[in-house]
Amino acid sequence: MTTVPELDPVIHAQARLRVMTSLAALAEGDRIAFPRLQQVLDMTAGNLSTHLRKLEDAGYLEITKTHERRTPVTYLGLTRQGRRAFEDYTAALRTLLAGSGNGQ
Amino acid sequence: MTERADTSDLSAEKSLALIEEQRGRVGRDLEPNAVLLFGAWGLAWLIGFAGIYAADRGWAGLSELVAGLLFFALLMTALVVTAVQVVRSARGVRGVSSEIGAMYGWSWLLGFGCLFAINAGLARQDGGLTDEQWALFGPAGALLVVGLVYLGGGAMWRDRVQYRLGVWILATDAVSVFAGVPGNYLVLALAGGGGFLAAAAWFTVQRRRAVPA
Repeated sequence: MTTVPELDPVIHAQARLRVMTSLAALAEGDRIAFPRLQQVLDMTAGNLSTHLRKLEDAGYLEITKTHERRTPVTYLGLTRQGRRAFEDYTAALRTLLAGSGNGQ
Repeated sequence: MTERADTSDLSAEKSLALIEEQRGRVGRDLEPNAVLLFGAWGLAWLIGFAGIYAADRGWAGLSELVAGLLFFALLMTALVVTAVQVVRSARGVRGVSSEIGAMYGWSWLLGFGCLFAINAGLARQDGGLTDEQWALFGPAGALLVVGLVYLGGGAMWRDRVQYRLGVWILATDAVSVFAGVPGNYLVLALAGGGGFLAAAAWFTVQRRRAVPA
């Protein structure tokens, strides 16, 4: 048996995986506003905030708070570490699938 | 040393499917709908230039004024479709891509602004151009701008479809001038509009493939 690659537990949860996928799909250096991300994910603000906090704690997320026409807006984007973690995660997934594919 | 990932109910297959699904969704939400864009411009060129050709040949009692207005209305519609798509897709996203988008948008405005000045300058010349020369140069100048901006956009976003369309437009443009009036209109309608519609068709197939039912 080959060693099974470990999947990053911060990313390997349905909601956070969707958040990470969406942010990784942005061009590097781009930031997305919180409500827009919420729309793309179809998640409640509270639910999304909870997951964003976990991603931020892991150092994957960069949160910028700013004002647009006096309204506070939060912009989100992956850190370099976050982008790397997502790439590693998808690579690990592929390795796992390639390993189990023979047994089907 | 427990495998924490294994205790999750999310299998590797499911994860990968989830990633693909979300990627598709982000693509649809954050990128302009290419099918709508190319479709709108393709129809505008096809029907618009065909109308002008028909009016020139005196078919179906179509006057040049009506054909011109029809073409103008079609171009304005395509422009509105484009603006709505671009604004909608760029909403809530800022950073590198907004800057690139702004520079790209300006290249259209500057290109057509310059062409407008060239046309105005030519018209001021003693005698100006003959009607036939205008009929050839008017569309040809506009298509030169369109083709070149498509080459630029294709290169910048590494979008081969867009780049190929740019090459096709330039080739169509060159041929149209040698077709003479009113043959040039027919070339622009069929080859020009057709090129856009082919791109739209290609993107339709891509979207179907990207979105599992």
